[in-house]
Amino acid sequence: MSKVQEVAAAVENGKVKIVAGLVQEALDEGCAADEILNVGMIGAMAVVGEKFKNNEIFVPEMLIAARAMKKGIEVLTPVLKAQGAEPVGRLILGTVAGDLHDIGKNLVGMMIEGAGFEVIDLGVDVPAEKFIEAMKENPDVKIVALSALLTTTMPAIKDTIDAIVASGLRDTVKIMIGGAPVTQAFADEVGANGYSEDAASAAQLATKLLG
Amino acid sequence: MIDFNEELKVIGEYKTVPLAKGVQRPPMPKRNTPISPLENYKRFIKRDKPIWTPTGSDFITFIPRIIPDNVARGFVFDSDPIDNVKEAGGKDMFGVEWEFVPVVGGSMVRPGNPLKIPDITKWEEYLEFPDLSAYDWKGSVERNRHVLFNDNVTMIWVQTGLFERLISFMEFENAALALIDEDQQDYVHSLMDRLCVFYDEYFDYLKKYYDVNVIYFHDDWGSQRAPFFSRATCEEMIMPYLKRVCESAHKRDIFIDFHSCGMVEPLLPCMIEAGCDTWSGQPMNDKLKMLRLYGDRITLNLSPYAAFSAAPEELTKATEEFLSTYGDYISSIIISPMMATSDMYEMVYRFSRKKLAE
Repeated sequence: MSKVQEVAAAVENGKVKIVAGLVQEALDEGCAADEILNVGMIGAMAVVGEKFKNNEIFVPEMLIAARAMKKGIEVLTPVLKAQGAEPVGRLILGTVAGDLHDIGKNLVGMMIEGAGFEVIDLGVDVPAEKFIEAMKENPDVKIVALSALLTTTMPAIKDTIDAIVASGLRDTVKIMIGGAPVTQAFADEVGANGYSEDAASAAQLATKLLG
Repeated sequence: MIDFNEELKVIGEYKTVPLAKGVQRPPMPKRNTPISPLENYKRFIKRDKPIWTPTGSDFITFIPRIIPDNVARGFVFDSDPIDNVKEAGGKDMFGVEWEFVPVVGGSMVRPGNPLKIPDITKWEEYLEFPDLSAYDWKGSVERNRHVLFNDNVTMIWVQTGLFERLISFMEFENAALALIDEDQQDYVHSLMDRLCVFYDEYFDYLKKYYDVNVIYFHDDWGSQRAPFFSRATCEEMIMPYLKRVCESAHKRDIFIDFHSCGMVEPLLPCMIEAGCDTWSGQPMNDKLKMLRLYGDRITLNLSPYAAFSAAPEELTKATEEFLSTYGDYISSIIISPMMATSDMYEMVYRFSRKKLAE
């Protein structure tokens, strides 16, 4: 097993304590930082996402894998920065106004980070204006991801998208939505660019939307 | 030959408590059944010659105001009701702050609030267990005596179970991770152990003062699409403690109705192993499949799918459909007490009475 594969295996299995050391060893052995990132981290998290989707693993295993990945990224980031590498993309994430639920949103954020994105998490109960403000502050953001757990707060997804349209910024971003009651039909109805039904699919969708 | 006119004859009424300030349920009819609803319920759960399938006025659901958890979570069914919008929320028994969300009709801990237990390895430093003797049990009994100590089934909610309690202390992600993190697992075990002592004492008060028959024990284990954790994790980290909770109930002649939301089908064996008497689950679970697989070992708490406020003919139709779907398992289901109207009660009674007599 190559060192990069060892990193990937450690991330997949949530070996938080050893990932940083393995990444350092891989770098010391001359492995390319982008290969460690793409295969050892992003590739491993894609496997984790697939297993989660198939109910082979559950939330704790996904969380611990994400934590292991973060340990590796801490070692990798200075090297990647020195090489001028950029994240795959930047994405704004939040649960819409009136909705305090963050479990699904946080899992989505973790998996999207695992796919190489930088995630700007605005938290829960986020009013439309705050999304727009964040978009203005981060003009390089390419995707906005909106979450709602409740049928009663789903209309806030539409309100947020409408506000983004009214702000004149709609064409600068792709919008993806999700949450327990959300469907593809609802996504079509409110003018979102995409919908995903779980965290792993959300990471795949974000990558796809980036084109 | 069963004389339904005689058995269903109304011979009195069971008084009820308000569901919130200004929301008073009407009294429920007491019928001339061959045995009392409580005796029938006990027989039903023990599968020892029950007469009918329990539902509706067989139960009084009581959620005492004196328990801070109940006000915090926004569910108080008490003769001294709360105004949910104005009064629900606030600190629970452990001092965790909850926020009532009117559109949900329930409360949650706002994400980002300071954690009760920021580091589980030091939980004993952060956690002060409630002094149950400080609550006004005697006053509560006096205010609610008219609905307690009857011959129907007294069901009391205990709103925050083992995993939900862990979440309330640590937030969801930290709690979920702690279940499988070898550096934290021992501390989760010791906290769960202490929680079992707490629930044991809590149940003792509920029995002593209210003579509770069923505890509706809340612990959500799943999301819309899957359990939060694997069966192996549940067996290792939660199930042994749920078993102790059930034992605390059973030794006091109390039954456990385990309320667990989400898609939790794979975890039903854990509930059975723990000793839960009934399970109240959500519609995304395949209830017929669960009844086929486990109906001989656990009773399911089900409802006809019709809104509580639906027109009588809609409820009748929903009940007919329900009985047609689940009728083969009538000895393994009870009907959610909050749902049943008088007409529904009679339909379920007639159907199950005949089936169970066969």
